[in-house]
Amino acid sequence: MRTSGVTDVVVGLHPNDHLCWPFDDFAEFRARAAEFLVDGLEQGQRACYVAQGDDLEADLVAQPVLAEALRDGRAEVISLESRYGTSATVTPEEQVDAYATATRAAIEDGFAGLRVAADATALVRTPDSLDAFCRYEHLIDRYMTAEPFSAMCAYDRSELPEPAVTRLSTLHPVNNTASAPFRLHATTDGIALDGEVDWVSHDLLSLALESTEPDDGELRVDTTGLRFIDHHGLLALHGYARANEATLVLRSEKSALPRLIAILGLDDVDCVR
Amino acid sequence: MTGFYHETAFYGSDDDFLAIAVPFVEGGLRDGQPTMIACAQKNTALLRDALGREDAVTYLPGADQYSRPADAIASYRDIFGKHSRQGATQIRTVGDVPHPGYGVPWDWWGRYENAVNQAFAEFPLWGLCPYDTRTTPPEVLADVARTHPYVAAASGEHLPNPGFGNGSPLSNPVADVLEQGSPRVSLVDPTPAAVREAVSAAITGTELTEDNAHDIVYAASEIVTNGLSHGVAPVRFRLWADDSRVVVTATDDGPGPSDPMAGLMPTTATRSAGLGLWILHRTCDYVSMGRDEDGFTVRVSVGGSGHT
Repeated sequence: MRTSGVTDVVVGLHPNDHLCWPFDDFAEFRARAAEFLVDGLEQGQRACYVAQGDDLEADLVAQPVLAEALRDGRAEVISLESRYGTSATVTPEEQVDAYATATRAAIEDGFAGLRVAADATALVRTPDSLDAFCRYEHLIDRYMTAEPFSAMCAYDRSELPEPAVTRLSTLHPVNNTASAPFRLHATTDGIALDGEVDWVSHDLLSLALESTEPDDGELRVDTTGLRFIDHHGLLALHGYARANEATLVLRSEKSALPRLIAILGLDDVDCVR
Repeated sequence: MTGFYHETAFYGSDDDFLAIAVPFVEGGLRDGQPTMIACAQKNTALLRDALGREDAVTYLPGADQYSRPADAIASYRDIFGKHSRQGATQIRTVGDVPHPGYGVPWDWWGRYENAVNQAFAEFPLWGLCPYDTRTTPPEVLADVARTHPYVAAASGEHLPNPGFGNGSPLSNPVADVLEQGSPRVSLVDPTPAAVREAVSAAITGTELTEDNAHDIVYAASEIVTNGLSHGVAPVRFRLWADDSRVVVTATDDGPGPSDPMAGLMPTTATRSAGLGLWILHRTCDYVSMGRDEDGFTVRVSVGGSGHT
C-alpha cells in the first residue's frame, strides 16, 4: 500500500512511495535526503542522490551509513543533467524509461529496488519545462504503483514561484506541507484525489488533470481520501472525462458524492463504492 | 393561451375557496386540459368532495410538491414540459404555497412566487395560488400581491392585479429562533476550508444525519465562497446549533444577486455563483436570502423535525 497524505518525516516510507519535498534551505533538503536514502538502504534498495554541483558526494559523506554505501557501491551520486538528460526541460516518457531501466538494473544487481532523492529545481524554471515536468511527475507516479521505485522530489521554494511549487505538490501522493490543498496521484487502475477541492483550487485541479489521461475509455477517480469537493471540482472532472471521450467513474464510500452527481444531472457518471 | 397566467386569489372562508377553485378545475377538465391540484391536506379534501370525480384531474400532494422551491420549480418544469411536448395548449394548476400559516418560513417561497413569473414563462400555463386570509400573515399577503400579475375573485372574475410589479422589494427574511442565542462559531473573512473545519467541529455531537451534516458543511463553504467571490468584504460567517438543528449565515456588504432566480434555478454559466446557491436550495431544509441594515445575508438550516 502506497502512502498518501502530508508528512514531516521521511523515514518509514514504502518501496514505491512518491514524496514531494519543497524546501527553503538546501542544507535542510540535504539532511532529509540523507535520512530518506539511509532508510532505503536499510530496506535493501539502491540509493541514488541527484542534484546540481561538482562534488555531490560531499553532500552525503557526513552521514556514516551513506559514506560506507558510497564506497561499496550501494549508493551513488549522479548529476541532475546526466540523470535527467537535460539541465532544462525533460522529455517525460524518456525519463520514465530511464528510471525503469535503472530500477531493473538495481534489481538485477540484487537490490530490492531503487530509491532516489533529487533536487529538481533546475528542471521546472520555465513554463514549458514546468509543464513537461508535471507530466513526467504523473507518469513516473503511475510507474511507481507497480514497480519498486521510490523517490523524493525536492524543489527550492526560494528559487521558484509559489504556484509552481504548489502545482508540483498536487501531483505527489505524499508531500511535506499543507501548501497543496489536494493531491492527485496514480493508482493501479486510474487516479486518486485526496484532500480538499474548492474554489481556491479549481485552476490547480484543471492543471493537475492535464497531466493525466483516461484509460480504456474511463477516467477512474478514487475519492476515498477526498474530504471535500464542490460542484465546480466535479464538473471539472466530468468535463475532462468528456473532453477525452471517457466516462467518469467515481469511487466513494459516502452517499454525498452520488447525491451531488444526481442533483447536477450528470447521468453519464458512474458512482461505485 | 400562451405564456404563464400567474394568478392569486384571497379568500376568507372555505366556501370562497371552493367558489374560486372549483370552476377553475372544472373549466380545465371540460376543455380537456391537463389539470393539477397541489393543495394542502384540508383544501385537497374540500376539492375532492366538491368535484365528486377522481378521473382526469391529477392530485400532487402539496407537502411533496412544495417541500423546497427549487425542487418545486424543477418538478413543475418537468411536468409542464412533458404536457407541452404532448401538444397541450393550456395547462392548469392550483396549489397551496407554504408560509408561516402552515408552520413554514416564507422567504424562499416569496422568492419562488417572484421567480416563477420567469421560470414558467415558456409554458402555456394558468397557475392559481390561492391564499387564506384567515391564516396568512400580512407580510406574506403583501409579497403575494407584488408577485402575481392576476387576481381571481369569488365572484368569478379574473382581473389584472394592480399591486403587481410595483417595484418594491420582497419582505425581509426573518431570523431563526436559534439566532437569539450566542453563535457557536463566528468568523470574519475566513477561507472556505477554515469554515468547513469550524462547522465540522461545531456539529460534532449533534444528532444530524450524515447527509444533513454533509449538506450544512457544503452550504457553509458555498455561502462563504459566494460572499468572498461575489460580495463586498467583510464576509461574516456565524453558526448556531441545538441538538438536532443547525443554522449558518454569511453576511457581506454587497447588494446580493440581482437575478430573482438566483438559487431557485440552475444557471448555465458554471463558473457563476448560481449553481452553488441552487445546490443548497435543493439539499438543505431552508435557505433565506435578503438585504437589511446588516448587509446581504444568506441563511441556511438543516435538521430538526420542523421549521421555526
